[in-house]
Amino acid sequence: MRKLMFYLPLALFLALALFLLSGLFSNPMERQSVTTDKPLPAFNLPDLMNPEKRWQPQQLHGETFLLNVWGTWCPTCNAELSYMTELREQGVKIIGLYYVLPADPVLGERFDLAELQADVSNKLQQRGNPYQFNILDFDRSLALDLGVSGAPETFIIDSTGIVRAHHIGDINPQVWRSKLAPLYQQWRQQDGVQP
Amino acid sequence: MIAEYGQLALTFALALSVLLAAVPLYGSFSGNQRALLQAKPLAIGLFIFCLLAKLALVHAFLNSDFTVINVATNSSSILPWYYQITASFGSHEGSMLLWILMLAGWTALVAIFSKGLPLLMQGRILGVLGLINIGFIAFSLFMSNPFARSLPFYPVEGMDLNPLLQDFGMIIHPPLLYMGYVGFAVSFAFAIAALIGGKFDSTWARWARPWTLAAWLFLTLGIMFGSWWAYHELGWGGWWFWDPVENASFLPWLVGTALLHSLAVTEKRGTFKSWTVLLALAAFSLSLVGAFLVRSGVLVSVHSFAADPDRGIFLLVFLLLVIGSSLALYASRMNSVRSQARYQLFSREVMLWGNNVFLLTATLVVFLGTLFPLFHKELGLGTISIGEPFFNQMFYYLTIPFALLLGLGPWVRWKQQPVKPLLGPLSLIAIASLVLALGTLAAMQSVQANLALLGLLLGAWVGLSALYELYQRMSQFGSVSKGAFKLHASHYGMTIAHIGFAVLVVGVAMTKTYSVERDVRMQLNDSISLAGYQFTLLEVYPLEGANYGGEAAEIAVHDKNGEFVSQLHAEKRFYTIQRTVMTESAVHARLSRDLYVSLGEALPDNAWALRLYVKPFVRWIWLGGLLMALGALVALLDKRYRRSGPTVSAVTPAEQANA
Repeated sequence: MRKLMFYLPLALFLALALFLLSGLFSNPMERQSVTTDKPLPAFNLPDLMNPEKRWQPQQLHGETFLLNVWGTWCPTCNAELSYMTELREQGVKIIGLYYVLPADPVLGERFDLAELQADVSNKLQQRGNPYQFNILDFDRSLALDLGVSGAPETFIIDSTGIVRAHHIGDINPQVWRSKLAPLYQQWRQQDGVQP
Repeated sequence: MIAEYGQLALTFALALSVLLAAVPLYGSFSGNQRALLQAKPLAIGLFIFCLLAKLALVHAFLNSDFTVINVATNSSSILPWYYQITASFGSHEGSMLLWILMLAGWTALVAIFSKGLPLLMQGRILGVLGLINIGFIAFSLFMSNPFARSLPFYPVEGMDLNPLLQDFGMIIHPPLLYMGYVGFAVSFAFAIAALIGGKFDSTWARWARPWTLAAWLFLTLGIMFGSWWAYHELGWGGWWFWDPVENASFLPWLVGTALLHSLAVTEKRGTFKSWTVLLALAAFSLSLVGAFLVRSGVLVSVHSFAADPDRGIFLLVFLLLVIGSSLALYASRMNSVRSQARYQLFSREVMLWGNNVFLLTATLVVFLGTLFPLFHKELGLGTISIGEPFFNQMFYYLTIPFALLLGLGPWVRWKQQPVKPLLGPLSLIAIASLVLALGTLAAMQSVQANLALLGLLLGAWVGLSALYELYQRMSQFGSVSKGAFKLHASHYGMTIAHIGFAVLVVGVAMTKTYSVERDVRMQLNDSISLAGYQFTLLEVYPLEGANYGGEAAEIAVHDKNGEFVSQLHAEKRFYTIQRTVMTESAVHARLSRDLYVSLGEALPDNAWALRLYVKPFVRWIWLGGLLMALGALVALLDKRYRRSGPTVSAVTPAEQANA
């Protein structure tokens, strides 16, 4: 009996280890890919350059594309513009989701559309314009629904409007070749486009 | 190139740790003296290479070398240089390297300061530390390399350090905490060496005591600074959140505290032997489990590093090897141990046994409270969360008997204590505590039976008892002035640490009871009074920092009589790269109360939301922590720890009593 007592700590520890092991394989936040393999959340948002025009998910169906969340205020987003422009020239379809930075979180929104449009065209002229068009996420609702945690982030959306991949961080040649290009090609082929 | 040198240095460190594990342990089993003698130079070499690796990483951060992934994701070129240094341990990879540096540092310290140890014991201890070093260095090199490059494609600018970590607290909190965590590896190694040797006499306990004390000192300071940091950085006036990661640091602290007391019994009386060894194993094991919880993503916490199952598996295997094998060794060796000492029911042994019971109950409460959500989920019962109320309530119940016992403990002698001689002084202390507690509340014009009264009573009981006991002990040497010099440093250390606990209890109880807060809307020149203080919003102006913008507010505070107290400067910062809002609260601190203001959002009509707090005695919480750490430091200065050779058990009664 006394002998067995000394094995008690070991037994308790091994039981704990079992729990920890199974805990490793279940994500406590269930956060991973909230949106992947699900349709784009519903939205009805204006075009950045032409606010009369509204965009809804159905209008984006038909072809696999990249949805790139960005803003001129974000240095890394600006840095990836030129490489993404190269991708556009290679035929990759990229749609921008313009993430409006709360001008000042303390003082609230100071939103001026004309100023923003000028800022954006200026930046795209300087660095290259990878976008077919930009959707203006003025209240950041779509970014929130997509689970965007920062800019830049990029989603691959297939021709039926299903989110197929979510990349956090910039797109550079390395990321494109090793991670995004294979996925993009895969879903393009599903559309019937040969690489 | 420097980063590659860093990686190379870490690789050499891995090789040295393998040698450190293999050579002295081989020597200890084969009796090869020369192999045993290699332990010290190997340990020092290991530390030097870990230091070189750390310096290489700091170099990469200071030069904003964004080709190193770790730098790119945790720093930026506009980050001030001192935060670039702290950013080098702000990430999982970087903090692992800091952990390794600390571990190698402790290993080298043991090698340098173990002259009094027999060569065999020294070799075993350093060999065990070498084994632990292998695990962590291999983890860093193979699973979370801080020097990994993203060449040829690298970002033009870093993602910046998390603004929460851009604070003075970040500079000191992690190094202190890690020194504490890792320091228990030394007690662990001593225990394993004792287990291998099969000797659990008082000698190993006497050797392990100063090391345990040093680790506990750092852990206490680390936790205390963490609490203070959270208080002034998070902007809502809390100082402890029962967050899983806080709990992960609190667990080894509780067990370490129990270990300190149990070691005293084993050293002085040669009893509690198997128990003390188990505590020494448990303290470091809980540090390891804590590291696993933080780094594997098993629990959700504000502190957690990014989750990665591969890392989790590696750490879990490491945990199984280290903890599993040591507990198996423990079980196989402990069969033969018998404690010989005899003691009565009312004796210091039993008092310290009580101390251990309460501390371990507290450990169990924190452990289950932290892990219960995981157990619950893995058993398929759904997700639940356990919050502050559970922990707070359990700790109220635990603190009352613990504090009562703590006031009594130091008076009670080893083996047996007649009750009668204690009745006089103890009833005196009890009456004095009552007077002091009621007097304090009367001075605050708030005499009622509440938590504050309870806290004051317990605090006064512990504090007065510690002081009076010290006085009595001094007088036993003839006169107090004579006794003051004769008394051992460790006795002063104990008294200071116990007073620290009393101060902490008073601080917690008073803050919990008398803190007031108000969410207010203020325009310029508006005044609002709270707990006798008049807060006036003087101005709000834009803020321009190196890597942030935002707003700052100036608030004047006057007291009841219209006397000016202080001008507070609160900020709301917006960090541009990480797009994060941070509150920099303004605090005016006095021993009796803190005035605390956080700036909120702007409201229409040129008004701002502000949150005002008056928090009485909140400083006492950290003062208590500091006193406990100071007590450990004073005890460490005890010259008995630096005497080599076996203990002389022929001690005078006075000495025996004040162990």
